[in-house]
Amino acid sequence: MAAAAARSLRAVPCVLPAASRALHTSPACLKARAARARVGKGDRAVTYEQAHAPHYIAHRKGWLSLHTGNLAGEEGAAERALEDAFLRRFLYGTFPGMLADEVVLKRRANLLELCLLLARGLAPAKLYFLVGYTETLLSHFYKCPVRLHLQTVPTKVAYKYL
Amino acid sequence: MALCRAAERAGRACAALLPRSCGSSGAYSTAPALSSRAGQQREASLRRRGRTSQVVRPHLAPRTEKMAVDQDWSSVYPTAAVFKPASVPLPIRMGYPVKRGVPPPKEGNLELMKIPNFLHLTPPAIKKHCAALRDFCTEWPSALDSDEKCEQHFPIEIETVDYVSAGTSIRNPKARVVTLRVKLSNLNLDEHARKKLVKLVGERYCADTDVLTITTDRCPLRRQNYDYSIHLLTVLYHESWKTEMWESEKSEEDMEEYVWENSCSQRNALATLLRIKASENLSAVTEEELLASEVVKNYRNSVIALKNEGETESNVSQYKESVKKLLNIQAVP
Repeated sequence: MAAAAARSLRAVPCVLPAASRALHTSPACLKARAARARVGKGDRAVTYEQAHAPHYIAHRKGWLSLHTGNLAGEEGAAERALEDAFLRRFLYGTFPGMLADEVVLKRRANLLELCLLLARGLAPAKLYFLVGYTETLLSHFYKCPVRLHLQTVPTKVAYKYL
Repeated sequence: MALCRAAERAGRACAALLPRSCGSSGAYSTAPALSSRAGQQREASLRRRGRTSQVVRPHLAPRTEKMAVDQDWSSVYPTAAVFKPASVPLPIRMGYPVKRGVPPPKEGNLELMKIPNFLHLTPPAIKKHCAALRDFCTEWPSALDSDEKCEQHFPIEIETVDYVSAGTSIRNPKARVVTLRVKLSNLNLDEHARKKLVKLVGERYCADTDVLTITTDRCPLRRQNYDYSIHLLTVLYHESWKTEMWESEKSEEDMEEYVWENSCSQRNALATLLRIKASENLSAVTEEELLASEVVKNYRNSVIALKNEGETESNVSQYKESVKKLLNIQAVP
Protein backbone atom coordinates (compact mmCIF):
# COMPACT_ATOMS: atom_id res chain seq x y z
CA MET A 1 0.00 0.00 0.00
CA ALA A 2 2.72 2.44 1.08
CA ALA A 3 5.00 1.31 -1.72
CA ALA A 4 2.29 1.89 -4.32
CA ALA A 5 1.65 5.36 -2.87
CA ALA A 6 5.36 6.17 -3.03
CA ARG A 7 5.58 4.99 -6.68
CA SER A 8 2.60 7.16 -7.62
CA LEU A 9 4.15 10.18 -5.88
CA ARG A 10 7.36 9.70 -7.82
CA ALA A 11 5.45 9.71 -11.11
CA VAL A 12 3.82 13.12 -10.36
CA PRO A 13 6.13 16.00 -11.40
CA CYS A 14 7.14 18.06 -8.38
CA VAL A 15 6.04 21.69 -8.87
CA LEU A 16 7.72 23.72 -6.14
CA PRO A 17 8.66 27.46 -6.21
CA ALA A 18 12.25 27.92 -7.45
CA ALA A 19 14.50 27.86 -4.36
CA SER A 20 18.23 27.38 -4.53
CA ARG A 21 21.00 27.38 -1.98
CA ALA A 22 24.33 28.76 -3.00
CA LEU A 23 27.53 29.71 -1.21
CA HIS A 24 28.26 33.45 -1.30
CA THR A 25 31.96 34.08 -1.79
CA SER A 26 34.03 37.21 -1.95
CA PRO A 27 37.73 37.45 -2.74
CA ALA A 28 39.84 36.43 0.23
CA CYS A 29 41.03 39.57 2.03
CA LEU A 30 43.14 38.20 4.90
CA LYS A 31 43.08 41.59 6.60
CA ALA A 32 44.25 40.10 9.87
CA ARG A 33 47.41 38.68 8.31
CA ALA A 34 48.48 41.58 6.05
CA ALA A 35 52.00 43.00 6.44
CA ARG A 36 52.58 41.16 9.70
CA ALA A 37 55.75 39.25 10.43
CA ARG A 38 54.77 36.12 12.32
CA VAL A 39 56.64 35.15 15.47
CA GLY A 40 59.15 32.35 14.92
CA LYS A 41 62.11 30.76 16.68
CA GLY A 42 63.88 34.02 17.48
CA ASP A 43 66.67 33.86 14.91
CA ARG A 44 65.03 35.90 12.12
CA ALA A 45 65.95 39.59 12.17
CA VAL A 46 63.19 41.99 11.23
CA THR A 47 63.51 45.71 10.59
CA TYR A 48 61.41 48.36 12.35
CA GLU A 49 59.24 48.58 9.25
CA GLN A 50 58.54 44.84 9.13
CA ALA A 51 58.10 44.45 12.88
CA HIS A 52 55.15 46.85 13.07
CA ALA A 53 51.76 45.88 11.70
CA PRO A 54 49.66 48.24 9.56
CA HIS A 55 47.56 49.44 12.49
CA TYR A 56 50.67 51.12 13.87
CA ILE A 57 50.80 53.52 10.91
CA ALA A 58 50.43 57.09 12.22
CA HIS A 59 51.11 55.78 15.74
CA ARG A 60 54.57 54.21 15.58
CA LYS A 61 55.24 54.26 11.84
CA GLY A 62 55.23 57.07 9.32
CA TRP A 63 54.25 56.92 5.65
CA LEU A 64 56.64 55.58 3.05
CA SER A 65 55.27 57.84 0.32
CA LEU A 66 54.51 61.54 0.82
CA HIS A 67 52.45 63.48 -1.70
CA THR A 68 49.42 65.76 -1.78
CA GLY A 69 47.19 63.47 -3.84
CA ASN A 70 45.37 62.01 -0.83
CA LEU A 71 44.37 65.36 0.67
CA ALA A 72 40.76 66.52 0.49
CA GLY A 73 39.98 68.28 -2.79
CA GLU A 74 43.23 67.28 -4.46
CA GLU A 75 43.55 65.22 -7.61
CA GLY A 76 46.00 62.65 -8.82
CA ALA A 77 45.87 60.13 -5.97
CA ALA A 78 45.52 57.16 -8.30
CA GLU A 79 48.32 58.33 -10.60
CA ARG A 80 50.67 58.79 -7.64
CA ALA A 81 49.77 55.34 -6.30
CA LEU A 82 50.54 53.76 -9.67
CA GLU A 83 53.84 55.64 -9.89
CA ASP A 84 54.76 54.46 -6.39
CA ALA A 85 54.08 50.83 -7.25
CA PHE A 86 56.18 51.03 -10.40
CA LEU A 87 59.04 52.84 -8.66
CA ARG A 88 59.27 50.27 -5.90
CA ARG A 89 59.44 47.38 -8.36
CA PHE A 90 61.94 49.22 -10.51
CA LEU A 91 64.25 49.96 -7.60
CA TYR A 92 63.91 46.44 -6.23
CA GLY A 93 65.16 45.16 -9.56
CA THR A 94 67.84 47.79 -10.19
CA PHE A 95 69.55 47.21 -6.83
CA PRO A 96 69.21 43.46 -6.56
CA GLY A 97 69.65 42.12 -3.06
CA MET A 98 70.97 45.43 -1.75
CA LEU A 99 67.85 47.16 -0.49
CA ALA A 100 68.03 46.98 3.31
CA ASP A 101 64.54 48.42 3.78
CA GLU A 102 61.57 49.87 1.93
CA VAL A 103 62.12 52.82 -0.39
CA VAL A 104 60.92 56.18 0.90
CA LEU A 105 59.33 58.32 -1.83
CA LYS A 106 59.01 62.04 -1.39
CA ARG A 107 57.40 64.43 -3.83
CA ARG A 108 58.05 68.15 -3.65
CA ALA A 109 56.06 69.95 -6.38
CA ASN A 110 57.49 68.44 -9.55
CA LEU A 111 60.52 66.82 -7.96
CA LEU A 112 60.58 63.14 -7.05
CA GLU A 113 63.03 62.13 -4.31
CA LEU A 114 63.79 58.46 -3.77
CA CYS A 115 65.48 57.68 -0.47
CA LEU A 116 67.16 54.28 -0.40
CA LEU A 117 68.75 52.33 2.39
CA LEU A 118 71.38 50.04 0.87
CA ALA A 119 73.65 47.41 2.26
CA ARG A 120 77.31 47.73 1.34
CA GLY A 121 77.86 45.08 -1.27
CA LEU A 122 78.79 46.96 -4.42
CA ALA A 123 81.81 48.94 -5.44
CA PRO A 124 81.21 52.70 -5.29
CA ALA A 125 81.81 53.13 -9.02
CA LYS A 126 79.11 50.60 -9.87
CA LEU A 127 76.81 52.22 -7.35
CA TYR A 128 77.25 55.63 -8.94
CA PHE A 129 76.47 54.15 -12.32
CA LEU A 130 73.25 52.64 -11.04
CA VAL A 131 72.28 55.94 -9.42
CA GLY A 132 72.83 57.85 -12.65
CA TYR A 133 71.05 55.20 -14.67
CA THR A 134 68.02 55.28 -12.36
CA GLU A 135 67.80 59.06 -12.23
CA THR A 136 68.11 59.51 -16.00
CA LEU A 137 65.74 56.74 -16.96
CA LEU A 138 63.05 57.67 -14.46
CA SER A 139 63.22 61.39 -15.26
CA HIS A 140 62.77 60.63 -18.93
CA PHE A 141 59.98 58.24 -18.13
CA TYR A 142 58.01 60.48 -15.79
CA LYS A 143 59.04 63.82 -17.33
CA CYS A 144 59.99 65.28 -13.97
CA PRO A 145 63.31 65.73 -12.11
CA VAL A 146 64.20 62.60 -10.14
CA ARG A 147 66.78 62.55 -7.34
CA LEU A 148 68.13 59.52 -5.60
CA HIS A 149 69.42 59.72 -2.02
CA LEU A 150 71.43 56.78 -0.78
CA GLN A 151 72.31 55.75 2.71
CA THR A 152 74.46 52.67 3.19
CA VAL A 153 74.47 50.49 6.26
CA PRO A 154 76.84 47.57 6.99
CA THR A 155 73.95 45.09 7.40
CA LYS A 156 70.20 45.20 7.58
CA VAL A 157 69.30 47.14 10.73
CA ALA A 158 67.64 44.61 13.00
CA TYR A 159 64.99 45.98 15.34
CA LYS A 160 63.79 42.69 16.71
CA TYR A 161 64.38 38.98 16.33
CA LEU A 162 61.23 37.00 15.68
CA MET B 1 84.70 38.90 9.99
CA ALA B 2 88.19 40.08 10.93
CA LEU B 3 87.54 43.40 9.29
CA CYS B 4 84.34 43.69 11.35
CA ARG B 5 86.23 43.10 14.57
CA ALA B 6 88.90 45.61 13.59
CA ALA B 7 86.21 48.21 12.88
CA GLU B 8 84.67 47.56 16.31
CA ARG B 9 88.02 48.01 18.05
CA ALA B 10 88.65 51.22 16.09
CA GLY B 11 85.22 52.45 17.05
CA ARG B 12 85.84 51.81 20.73
CA ALA B 13 89.22 53.51 20.51
CA CYS B 14 87.55 56.54 18.99
CA ALA B 15 85.07 56.61 21.84
CA ALA B 16 87.94 56.41 24.36
CA LEU B 17 89.74 59.29 22.67
CA LEU B 18 86.64 61.43 22.64
CA PRO B 19 86.79 62.90 26.21
CA ARG B 20 90.39 63.99 25.66
CA SER B 21 89.78 65.65 22.31
CA CYS B 22 86.45 67.15 23.37
CA GLY B 23 87.91 70.38 24.62
CA SER B 24 90.08 71.04 21.58
CA SER B 25 88.02 70.15 18.51
CA GLY B 26 84.60 69.34 19.92
CA ALA B 27 83.95 66.91 17.10
CA TYR B 28 81.07 64.53 17.66
CA SER B 29 81.59 60.87 17.06
CA THR B 30 79.14 58.01 17.20
CA ALA B 31 80.19 54.84 18.98
CA PRO B 32 78.29 51.81 17.75
CA ALA B 33 76.51 49.91 20.51
CA LEU B 34 78.08 46.49 20.12
CA SER B 35 77.80 45.08 23.57
CA SER B 36 74.02 44.60 23.29
CA ARG B 37 72.43 41.20 23.39
CA ALA B 38 70.96 41.63 19.96
CA GLY B 39 74.37 42.33 18.49
CA GLN B 40 75.84 39.25 20.11
CA GLN B 41 72.93 37.20 18.83
CA ARG B 42 73.61 38.50 15.34
CA GLU B 43 77.29 37.61 15.55
CA ALA B 44 76.41 34.18 16.84
CA SER B 45 74.01 33.58 13.96
CA LEU B 46 76.64 34.76 11.47
CA ARG B 47 79.19 32.44 12.92
CA ARG B 48 76.71 29.57 12.71
CA ARG B 49 76.16 30.23 9.01
CA GLY B 50 79.82 29.96 8.36
CA ARG B 51 80.37 32.89 6.05
CA THR B 52 78.72 36.29 5.63
CA SER B 53 76.30 36.66 2.76
CA GLN B 54 77.53 40.18 2.09
CA VAL B 55 81.01 41.45 1.42
CA VAL B 56 82.15 43.82 4.18
CA ARG B 57 83.78 46.83 2.61
CA PRO B 58 85.97 49.30 4.48
CA HIS B 59 83.93 52.43 4.99
CA LEU B 60 84.91 56.04 5.61
CA ALA B 61 84.18 57.67 8.95
CA PRO B 62 81.02 59.77 8.91
CA ARG B 63 81.39 63.44 8.11
CA THR B 64 80.10 64.39 11.56
CA GLU B 65 83.49 63.57 13.07
CA LYS B 66 85.18 66.34 11.13
CA MET B 67 82.56 69.03 11.72
CA ALA B 68 83.52 72.14 13.69
CA VAL B 69 81.09 73.49 16.25
CA ASP B 70 80.96 76.89 14.56
CA GLN B 71 80.59 75.61 11.01
CA ASP B 72 78.24 77.17 8.49
CA TRP B 73 75.19 74.91 8.78
CA SER B 74 73.47 76.38 5.73
CA SER B 75 76.16 74.84 3.55
CA VAL B 76 75.50 71.38 5.01
CA TYR B 77 71.75 71.65 4.38
CA PRO B 78 71.27 74.41 1.78
CA THR B 79 67.93 73.07 0.53
CA ALA B 80 65.26 70.73 1.76
CA ALA B 81 66.85 67.30 1.81
CA VAL B 82 66.34 63.92 3.39
CA PHE B 83 67.83 63.28 6.81
CA LYS B 84 71.42 62.10 6.43
CA PRO B 85 72.70 60.58 9.69
CA ALA B 86 76.32 60.98 8.63
CA SER B 87 75.83 64.71 8.07
CA VAL B 88 73.78 65.64 11.12
CA PRO B 89 75.98 65.69 14.24
CA LEU B 90 73.13 65.11 16.67
CA PRO B 91 72.52 61.95 18.75
CA ILE B 92 68.93 61.53 17.61
CA ARG B 93 66.94 58.40 18.27
CA MET B 94 63.54 57.74 16.75
CA GLY B 95 61.05 54.93 16.96
CA TYR B 96 59.19 52.84 19.47
CA PRO B 97 61.67 51.11 21.78
CA VAL B 98 61.79 47.35 22.20
CA LYS B 99 60.94 46.10 25.65
CA ARG B 100 63.62 47.22 28.13
CA GLY B 101 65.37 49.02 25.31
CA VAL B 102 65.82 52.44 23.81
CA PRO B 103 64.52 53.92 20.55
CA PRO B 104 66.62 52.84 17.56
CA PRO B 105 69.62 55.06 16.68
CA LYS B 106 69.80 57.34 13.68
CA GLU B 107 71.95 55.03 11.49
CA GLY B 108 69.68 53.25 9.03
CA ASN B 109 66.60 54.72 10.69
CA LEU B 110 63.84 54.75 8.12
CA GLU B 111 61.49 56.73 10.34
CA LEU B 112 63.88 59.68 10.37
CA MET B 113 64.11 59.49 6.58
CA LYS B 114 60.33 59.40 6.14
CA ILE B 115 59.50 62.59 7.97
CA PRO B 116 60.09 66.02 6.41
CA ASN B 117 62.80 67.88 8.31
CA PHE B 118 63.51 71.59 8.62
CA LEU B 119 67.25 71.41 8.94
CA HIS B 120 67.52 73.77 5.98
CA LEU B 121 65.44 76.47 7.70
CA THR B 122 67.54 77.53 10.68
CA PRO B 123 67.24 81.24 11.57
CA PRO B 124 70.64 82.16 10.06
CA ALA B 125 69.64 80.39 6.83
CA ILE B 126 66.34 82.29 6.69
CA LYS B 127 68.22 85.55 7.29
CA LYS B 128 70.42 84.73 4.29
CA HIS B 129 67.32 84.02 2.16
CA CYS B 130 65.77 87.37 3.15
CA ALA B 131 68.99 89.24 2.43
CA ALA B 132 69.19 87.65 -1.02
CA LEU B 133 65.53 88.39 -1.77
CA ARG B 134 65.80 92.02 -0.66
CA ASP B 135 67.47 92.94 -3.95
CA PHE B 136 64.32 91.95 -5.80
CA CYS B 137 61.91 93.84 -3.54
CA THR B 138 60.69 97.44 -3.91
CA GLU B 139 59.35 99.71 -1.19
CA TRP B 140 55.61 99.98 -0.55
CA PRO B 141 54.42 103.29 -2.07
CA SER B 142 54.45 105.86 0.73
CA ALA B 143 51.25 107.52 -0.52
CA LEU B 144 49.24 104.38 0.27
CA ASP B 145 49.67 104.34 4.01
CA SER B 146 46.07 103.53 5.03
CA ASP B 147 43.27 101.18 3.97
CA GLU B 148 41.02 104.06 2.99
CA LYS B 149 43.62 105.48 0.62
CA CYS B 150 44.12 102.06 -0.95
CA GLU B 151 40.36 101.77 -1.46
CA GLN B 152 40.14 105.27 -2.84
CA HIS B 153 42.86 104.70 -5.46
CA PHE B 154 42.13 101.02 -6.16
CA PRO B 155 38.41 100.44 -5.59
CA ILE B 156 38.21 97.15 -7.50
CA GLU B 157 39.67 94.05 -5.80
CA ILE B 158 40.45 90.95 -7.85
CA GLU B 159 40.93 87.65 -6.02
CA THR B 160 42.53 84.61 -7.65
CA VAL B 161 43.91 81.44 -6.09
CA ASP B 162 46.99 79.49 -7.21
CA TYR B 163 47.23 75.82 -6.29
CA VAL B 164 50.46 73.94 -5.62
CA SER B 165 50.49 70.18 -5.38
CA ALA B 166 53.00 67.36 -5.57
CA GLY B 167 52.88 65.55 -8.87
CA THR B 168 53.90 65.65 -12.48
CA SER B 169 51.13 68.06 -13.53
CA ILE B 170 50.85 71.74 -12.51
CA ARG B 171 47.31 72.13 -13.86
CA ASN B 172 44.45 72.54 -11.41
CA PRO B 173 40.95 73.33 -12.72
CA LYS B 174 40.13 75.30 -9.54
CA ALA B 175 42.71 77.95 -10.46
CA ARG B 176 40.54 79.56 -13.14
CA VAL B 177 38.05 81.12 -10.66
CA VAL B 178 38.19 84.93 -10.46
CA THR B 179 36.34 87.00 -7.82
CA LEU B 180 35.80 90.72 -8.39
CA ARG B 181 34.78 92.94 -5.44
CA VAL B 182 33.81 96.60 -5.60
CA LYS B 183 31.97 98.98 -3.28
CA LEU B 184 28.98 100.65 -4.93
CA SER B 185 29.81 103.93 -3.20
CA ASN B 186 32.93 104.05 -5.39
CA LEU B 187 30.86 103.87 -8.55
CA ASN B 188 29.21 106.92 -10.07
CA LEU B 189 25.51 105.99 -9.66
CA ASP B 190 22.40 108.09 -9.04
CA GLU B 191 19.41 106.82 -7.06
CA HIS B 192 17.65 105.16 -9.97
CA ALA B 193 20.88 103.59 -11.30
CA ARG B 194 21.81 102.25 -7.87
CA LYS B 195 18.40 100.68 -7.29
CA LYS B 196 18.41 99.18 -10.78
CA LEU B 197 21.93 97.77 -10.32
CA VAL B 198 21.02 96.19 -7.01
CA LYS B 199 17.96 94.61 -8.64
CA LEU B 200 20.03 93.34 -11.56
CA VAL B 201 22.73 91.64 -9.48
CA GLY B 202 20.42 90.18 -6.88
CA GLU B 203 22.28 88.00 -4.40
CA ARG B 204 25.74 89.22 -5.40
CA TYR B 205 25.22 92.51 -3.50
CA CYS B 206 25.65 92.68 0.27
CA ALA B 207 23.68 95.61 1.72
CA ASP B 208 25.55 95.57 5.07
CA THR B 209 28.98 96.15 3.56
CA ASP B 210 27.84 97.78 0.29
CA VAL B 211 30.05 95.36 -1.66
CA LEU B 212 29.24 93.86 -5.03
CA THR B 213 30.93 90.46 -5.53
CA ILE B 214 31.11 88.91 -8.99
CA THR B 215 32.58 85.38 -9.21
CA THR B 216 33.32 84.01 -12.67
CA ASP B 217 34.42 80.49 -13.52
CA ARG B 218 32.64 79.70 -16.76
CA CYS B 219 35.72 80.16 -18.98
CA PRO B 220 38.56 77.63 -19.05
CA LEU B 221 41.35 80.18 -18.43
CA ARG B 222 41.86 82.67 -15.62
CA ARG B 223 42.57 85.51 -18.03
CA GLN B 224 39.29 84.89 -19.83
CA ASN B 225 37.37 84.84 -16.54
CA TYR B 226 38.99 88.11 -15.49
CA ASP B 227 38.04 89.75 -18.79
CA TYR B 228 34.51 88.42 -18.44
CA SER B 229 34.11 89.81 -14.91
CA ILE B 230 35.33 93.26 -16.01
CA HIS B 231 32.94 93.09 -18.95
CA LEU B 232 30.07 92.20 -16.58
CA LEU B 233 30.84 95.19 -14.35
CA THR B 234 30.92 97.52 -17.37
CA VAL B 235 27.64 96.21 -18.75
CA LEU B 236 25.93 96.45 -15.33
CA TYR B 237 27.08 100.03 -14.88
CA HIS B 238 25.90 101.18 -18.29
CA GLU B 239 22.62 99.29 -18.16
CA SER B 240 21.73 100.73 -14.75
CA TRP B 241 22.07 104.27 -16.06
CA LYS B 242 19.63 103.58 -18.92
CA THR B 243 15.89 103.89 -18.27
CA GLU B 244 13.74 101.49 -20.26
CA MET B 245 10.15 102.24 -21.25
CA TRP B 246 8.72 99.44 -19.14
CA GLU B 247 10.36 100.80 -15.97
CA SER B 248 7.53 103.31 -15.68
CA GLU B 249 5.25 100.35 -14.84
CA LYS B 250 7.04 99.88 -11.51
CA SER B 251 4.36 99.08 -8.97
CA GLU B 252 4.23 99.08 -5.20
CA GLU B 253 5.36 95.41 -5.04
CA ASP B 254 8.59 96.24 -6.89
CA MET B 255 9.61 98.99 -4.49
CA GLU B 256 12.73 98.26 -2.46
CA GLU B 257 11.59 100.26 0.58
CA TYR B 258 8.29 101.52 1.89
CA VAL B 259 7.17 104.86 0.46
CA TRP B 260 4.37 106.58 2.35
CA GLU B 261 3.32 108.99 -0.39
CA ASN B 262 0.35 107.58 -2.36
CA SER B 263 0.06 104.55 -0.11
CA CYS B 264 -3.15 103.21 1.44
CA SER B 265 -1.88 104.30 4.87
CA GLN B 266 -1.78 107.92 3.70
CA ARG B 267 -5.21 107.63 2.08
CA ASN B 268 -6.75 106.06 5.19
CA ALA B 269 -5.22 108.63 7.55
CA LEU B 270 -6.33 111.60 5.43
CA ALA B 271 -9.84 110.17 4.96
CA THR B 272 -10.21 109.59 8.73
CA LEU B 273 -9.00 113.09 9.59
CA LEU B 274 -11.29 114.71 6.99
CA ARG B 275 -14.31 112.83 8.38
CA ILE B 276 -13.36 113.84 11.95
CA LYS B 277 -13.05 117.46 10.90
CA ALA B 278 -16.35 117.34 8.97
CA SER B 279 -18.22 115.78 11.91
CA GLU B 280 -16.88 118.51 14.21
CA ASN B 281 -18.24 121.06 11.75
CA LEU B 282 -15.03 123.06 11.67
CA SER B 283 -13.83 125.03 8.70
CA ALA B 284 -13.01 122.78 5.73
CA VAL B 285 -9.38 121.89 5.84
CA THR B 286 -7.61 120.96 2.66
CA GLU B 287 -5.50 117.84 2.16
CA GLU B 288 -2.30 119.84 1.73
CA GLU B 289 -2.83 121.56 5.07
CA LEU B 290 -3.42 118.19 6.72
CA LEU B 291 -0.32 116.73 5.12
CA ALA B 292 1.75 119.68 6.31
CA SER B 293 0.50 119.38 9.90
CA GLU B 294 2.75 118.09 12.68
CA VAL B 295 0.61 115.11 13.71
CA VAL B 296 0.37 113.72 10.18
CA LYS B 297 4.11 114.14 9.69
CA ASN B 298 4.76 112.26 12.96
CA TYR B 299 2.43 109.47 11.89
CA ARG B 300 4.13 109.26 8.49
CA ASN B 301 7.61 108.94 10.05
CA SER B 302 6.52 106.26 12.53
CA VAL B 303 4.81 104.16 9.80
CA ILE B 304 7.88 104.43 7.54
CA ALA B 305 10.14 103.41 10.43
CA LEU B 306 7.96 100.40 11.27
CA LYS B 307 7.79 99.15 7.69
CA ASN B 308 11.44 99.68 6.73
CA GLU B 309 13.24 98.78 9.92
CA GLY B 310 10.88 96.20 11.34
CA GLU B 311 9.23 96.09 14.76
CA THR B 312 11.40 97.26 17.63
CA GLU B 313 10.45 98.58 21.08
CA SER B 314 11.11 102.19 20.16
CA ASN B 315 9.38 101.91 16.75
CA VAL B 316 6.17 100.48 18.17
CA SER B 317 6.01 103.01 21.04
CA GLN B 318 6.68 105.84 18.57
CA TYR B 319 3.78 104.58 16.41
CA LYS B 320 1.52 104.42 19.48
CA GLU B 321 2.34 108.04 20.41
CA SER B 322 1.79 109.30 16.87
CA VAL B 323 -1.61 107.54 16.56
CA LYS B 324 -2.72 108.95 19.91
CA LYS B 325 -1.73 112.46 18.79
CA LEU B 326 -3.37 111.98 15.36
CA LEU B 327 -6.73 110.89 16.72
CA ASN B 328 -6.41 113.19 19.74
CA ILE B 329 -6.94 110.36 22.26
CA GLN B 330 -6.03 111.21 25.84
CA ALA B 331 -4.29 108.59 27.95
CA VAL B 332 -6.75 106.31 29.77
CA PRO B 333 -6.23 106.81 33.54
